[in-house]
Amino acid sequence: MGPLAPNGIISENTNFLLAFFIGIAFGWVLESSGFSSSRKLAGQFYGYDTVVLKVFFTGAITCMIGLLLMSLFGWIDLDLVYVNPTYLTSAIVGGVVMGAGFIMGGFCPGTSFTGAAIGKIDAMVFVGGLFIGIYGFAFTYPWWEKMYMAKYLGEPKISQSLGMSDGLFGLLLILVALGMFVVAEWAERKFPREEY
Amino acid sequence: MKPLKLLAIVIIPLGIILAAVPADKTKHFRLSAAELLQEAGTGAQFISPDVIADMLVQKDPSLQLIDVRTPEEFEAFSLPGAINIPLSNLLADENTDILNQDARMNVFYSNGSVTANEAWMLTRQLGYKNNFVMEGGLNYWFGNILSAQAPSQTNPNEEFAKYDFRKSAAAALGGGSVVATEGSSAAPKAAKPPVASKAKKKAAGGC
Repeated sequence: MGPLAPNGIISENTNFLLAFFIGIAFGWVLESSGFSSSRKLAGQFYGYDTVVLKVFFTGAITCMIGLLLMSLFGWIDLDLVYVNPTYLTSAIVGGVVMGAGFIMGGFCPGTSFTGAAIGKIDAMVFVGGLFIGIYGFAFTYPWWEKMYMAKYLGEPKISQSLGMSDGLFGLLLILVALGMFVVAEWAERKFPREEY
Repeated sequence: MKPLKLLAIVIIPLGIILAAVPADKTKHFRLSAAELLQEAGTGAQFISPDVIADMLVQKDPSLQLIDVRTPEEFEAFSLPGAINIPLSNLLADENTDILNQDARMNVFYSNGSVTANEAWMLTRQLGYKNNFVMEGGLNYWFGNILSAQAPSQTNPNEEFAKYDFRKSAAAALGGGSVVATEGSSAAPKAAKPPVASKAKKKAAGGC
């Protein structure tokens, strides 16, 4: 958990403990907002329930605004924040695999655990599939390695490649997100489903 | 009020604020004046010229000598393998990768210790690590390493060991004034060190 762990303010073990509590809180919020229902999640793809898009985009926007404001006030050094390195090929392939699994299984990794926690059998099967996938990938890693490591781009920021400041890109992203929310709510009215 | 409207009312102004604020390009000090004073007081930044001479003789690849004098002085004489970053040019962007890294041991030197120590203070206050100062500077280097004086017979054995080492180091590095003419052309410019500064601080993690 940056910047506390990399700066040695908290130990690695405390870091895991914090992650444990944050994980529990995250799972609890997911479950109580109905994310353990695979119909709700699949609704994203059919248009009758777009809460997944709204929740995750609101989460991303909140996080972005918080980080940018905190860096503005000098509370956080954005250089210390972990950014996932971009491997373009595996990002695209992984996105397709994840999306296909999402719509077929009705869960994403986090929500499958919340579903399994409240005793849903399909979620447990999904978790089983998750582990098969993880171990399958790990044991056949040499077959994938070339594709997995292909098109390494470092840690690019969209704002950099567009040549604009982080703040301006943030504003654009906020406007895009709000536009998407309007479209999503329109879709919910357009493709309603009574009971799910 | 609809939640979407409420959300828009809150986040659009925040977004406008973020977009309107110019990007912060200043280099922030990471150490307070008191912290720096305390660190400077310990003298831990000083590396003895004997240690540097030893590393030079051993061709230790982790040593990066940085000459903080003017380019003219650097041309006239420099230590083997040293690169020239004049103090006035210390904070230029192209030098950040050299000064802020954790692969090598940077040692600043100047004629005395003062200019090199200024370079150390500036970089240390920016939070850079692995920067050091050659104690005594080139004056001490010439006076004691390259032209070492034999200790008198009453000195302890350590003094003689030091003298023997300095004599052989001077021979290996080119003794006395000979080096002044050789050094100017013989000092190859070192390649930039690998940039590892960012990676070390980052937390591993993800979704």
